[in-house]
Amino acid sequence: MDVSADSPRVFPVDDFVKEELYPGYKQAFGSQPFVAGPVRPFSPADNARYWLRDSLHFSEGMVPASIATLDDAQTWGAQLGAEIVGVPPTRGSVNRLAGTHVYIGTIDVDTEWQVQARAARFGQYVSPILADFGSYWSMRAGELTSAYEHFDNLDLAGMSPAELWTVLRDAYAFHRRAWFIHFEVMYVLTANYLAFYALAEEIGLSGSQVSSFLSGQQTFYSQTDQELWRLARRAQSLGVTEPLLHGSPADMPARLLALPNGAQWLADFDAFLAVYGQRTEETCRIDTPSWIEDPSPALYSIGTFLAKPAGFNFHAAREAAVAERDAQIDQARRAVNGVNLARFNEALASNQAANFAWWNEEHNYLIDRRAAIPVRRATLELGARLTDAGRIARPDDLFFLFKPELFEVMESGGAAGADAGRGQWAELAAMIPDRRAYFEHWRERGPSLPTMLGTIPDTVPDPIMIEVFGLSGHFLETLRAESRSGSGGGSEVVEIRGFPAAKGVAEGVARVITTVGDLHTVLPGEILVCGGTTTEWTPAFGVIMACVCDTGGSLTHAAIVSREYGIPCVVGTAVATTMIKTGDRIRVDGRAGTVQVLAGDAA
Amino acid sequence: MSGSPDGEAVLELGVIRAGDAGRVGPKMARLGQLASAGWRVPDGYAVTASALEGWLPASAQAELHRLFSTAAAGGTDYGGHQRLAALSEQARQIIEGQPLPSPVADAVAAAQARLEQRTGRGGALRVAVRSSAVGEDGRAASFAGQYETYLGVRGLDEVLRHIAKCWASGYSAHALEYRRRFGGSSPLRANDLAVGVLELVDARSAGVAFTLDPVTGDRGRLVVEANWGLGESVVSGQVTPDYWTVERGSGRILERRVGAKLVWSVLAGAGAGNADAELGGTAAEGRSGTVLAPLPAELAQVPCLSDDEVRYICRQAAAIEAAEGTPQDVEWAIARDLEVPDGVFFLQHRPETTWSAAVPESGAAPAPAPSFDPVQYALRNVFKVPGT
Repeated sequence: MDVSADSPRVFPVDDFVKEELYPGYKQAFGSQPFVAGPVRPFSPADNARYWLRDSLHFSEGMVPASIATLDDAQTWGAQLGAEIVGVPPTRGSVNRLAGTHVYIGTIDVDTEWQVQARAARFGQYVSPILADFGSYWSMRAGELTSAYEHFDNLDLAGMSPAELWTVLRDAYAFHRRAWFIHFEVMYVLTANYLAFYALAEEIGLSGSQVSSFLSGQQTFYSQTDQELWRLARRAQSLGVTEPLLHGSPADMPARLLALPNGAQWLADFDAFLAVYGQRTEETCRIDTPSWIEDPSPALYSIGTFLAKPAGFNFHAAREAAVAERDAQIDQARRAVNGVNLARFNEALASNQAANFAWWNEEHNYLIDRRAAIPVRRATLELGARLTDAGRIARPDDLFFLFKPELFEVMESGGAAGADAGRGQWAELAAMIPDRRAYFEHWRERGPSLPTMLGTIPDTVPDPIMIEVFGLSGHFLETLRAESRSGSGGGSEVVEIRGFPAAKGVAEGVARVITTVGDLHTVLPGEILVCGGTTTEWTPAFGVIMACVCDTGGSLTHAAIVSREYGIPCVVGTAVATTMIKTGDRIRVDGRAGTVQVLAGDAA
Repeated sequence: MSGSPDGEAVLELGVIRAGDAGRVGPKMARLGQLASAGWRVPDGYAVTASALEGWLPASAQAELHRLFSTAAAGGTDYGGHQRLAALSEQARQIIEGQPLPSPVADAVAAAQARLEQRTGRGGALRVAVRSSAVGEDGRAASFAGQYETYLGVRGLDEVLRHIAKCWASGYSAHALEYRRRFGGSSPLRANDLAVGVLELVDARSAGVAFTLDPVTGDRGRLVVEANWGLGESVVSGQVTPDYWTVERGSGRILERRVGAKLVWSVLAGAGAGNADAELGGTAAEGRSGTVLAPLPAELAQVPCLSDDEVRYICRQAAAIEAAEGTPQDVEWAIARDLEVPDGVFFLQHRPETTWSAAVPESGAAPAPAPSFDPVQYALRNVFKVPGT
């Protein structure tokens, strides 16, 4: 066909532009090629399924901009990961929001053909990865690390508007990719772990022991804690403990500088942050600062360590944990023989090489607590420019716009500079105060939200939900009993049962904490009672006497870290934070998996 | 009595040597050799495999034949596990109901009377009736583990009955399954089995000594595991035993752990060896006449051996290893009424297989076939995908 030079090169789409895809169907806002749907509010149909409050990862609620990062993570990432790995019983997770708070549900695979097809795929995908997990993980970790090198070293302030906009789009693209890696690796490793767990049960060992066979590995977080303890000891030797013990983080730097050796300690602390500070306190929340922006969590940790007179011998605790692990492995090996010993040794070797218990901590630094930082930095830089131009009141106003809203205004001319899109900005900015108020309203309601919504099932078919979130039969039964007896359960209950996560018995005063932001209120020697813990809670384990959680199974953070620190821990109690009040005297038996409330605060 | 012709139905332990394995099975042959070399072993005798060959009356053989022919019509797996269990039960009933032929029964009666007299315990003597399979190749050796042993048996009638039971244990459900799966041994092929009758050591403490570390294969150390009472609680894995590792040569105790010994194995009361006491004996090593009882609290936290006792047992185990030429595991017991070293009896020993087999004398070790595939195992046992 002959094309002359003046032939039109543009074929306008105008004739085809519509709001509806078909008569009566309007594509949902934010819709993307999900396997099973994006983050959305609850609808009446959701009553037929179970929804678990995910306070483990998101305790304080999501601002509008974090809905997109949540979509990338626990929704899109989990669904794509489950799809590609071919996990037979589950297609990943879906999220619903109660106000601003995140609930998670699973998507069960419910046809025989799909289960079989996925099983075949699963074998093909997972076997080569487990055969050489070390190489595979260093490839993935290398991809993440080089992305951070790229984003962390960008001079955002010196960029043109178009360049900055490109960085923001790149940052979102990277965030999504990071979360696919997260779930790809997670499904592979949990399958390996759960196989070992099931084998242990088959050959007469206890499956709940398996995670302790895999403990005692150094992670980026154990190194961080070690460094925090080192900084605490350094503060003692430099004689600068006073501000760290009694100051508020905001005025600590100034008060430290007033001391003779304060500048020296701060230089040491800054060197620490340069290595360990690229982390936020929660997952996917772009409104939470990194430690480099706000080092309060690190300073609180150091202060807490200083308040513990005996200190904490990190090396001894680790050696004890390793010795305990090795003793347990030896004991298990003596309890089995012949072909079962060979199977045990092979399953152990496979799990030592591809170790979920280790990765569960290690990956947080590379993904959960870090992947959103490039998005946050670019968003704040853009917000600063828009603030200067008078479009919004303050840089973090942008956290209260949804990603599609921001992208729409940017792509319709806003990317050209802060002067563009004046009318659209005015419309968006007008909504921000109400959205801030909405977020605050739900933040306050957070601690009173139910652990589960919808229909509590008898059993959960997804073994990953059972071990990671602790949705055991006992947990579900406790919640059903609670729903029958009304909220808060019966006051006659003095013993709470859960999963025995780390052995030992401790008696002491309870401190009930619902968000990591309140962690600094925990006093040395108290027993921490909470919904669940994540990496950010780890430093507290050096000072608390025991730990009790509402959620969790053998693979949860609290279980793993308690064993490392040698303190008793009971998880998956379902009701600890509603039954126990701060100040109650409680007794935790980590081997039996029980928590007794001995005396109320008022008694 | 000294020496026995080949046709003899019973051999006294005192005349049995290593070369008699073809007649009394390697287990009894090793024990006789050990006794002749001066180690203290329980006194006793063996009923030879040839005496027991074809002992079953023709009527009972015909009955077994009918039973298995009918069952085989239901398929090579006899129609599944439940059917197999029922089949086993019927076969064992047929066999256990038969009296031993008179020449065998008479020889056992004479040997039993001599044993009761030698031990000075008369009719109160309790014995262990041990299956001792004949056959040296690997498959036969594996099948040997399918037979049962009965402890605490008392009196001639019960001894005779338990000899038949040992033979019938070759028809247990797991033994039948083993024959079916590994072939070569039709259910109608008679058992190649001798039976040992040995004085039961009423043990204060008992257990196992390994002449290498069974976990790591380290030959520089020996390992002792033990509990209070009879050794059954240790061998059957029903307690976490006390545990010692001892440096070879120096005898230095490298590690010492007191196990969580919640139970112990002790002789049952007056009814030992009777039918009631056997009800609990379903494992490959039957526990007739012994019971697993809660261990008294004052013993649970206390090591069941002194350091000197541990070192003595290790020295003896190392000497047995030297005599045999390969690493061994050695079962031993310390008699309740005797002092160490006189009270230490060696009950049996066998080549340690896991590590000895894994490290051949020459050439590179062949890579063992993997026995655990996490992916297939996860599909079958975690995700429970049908058909995997």
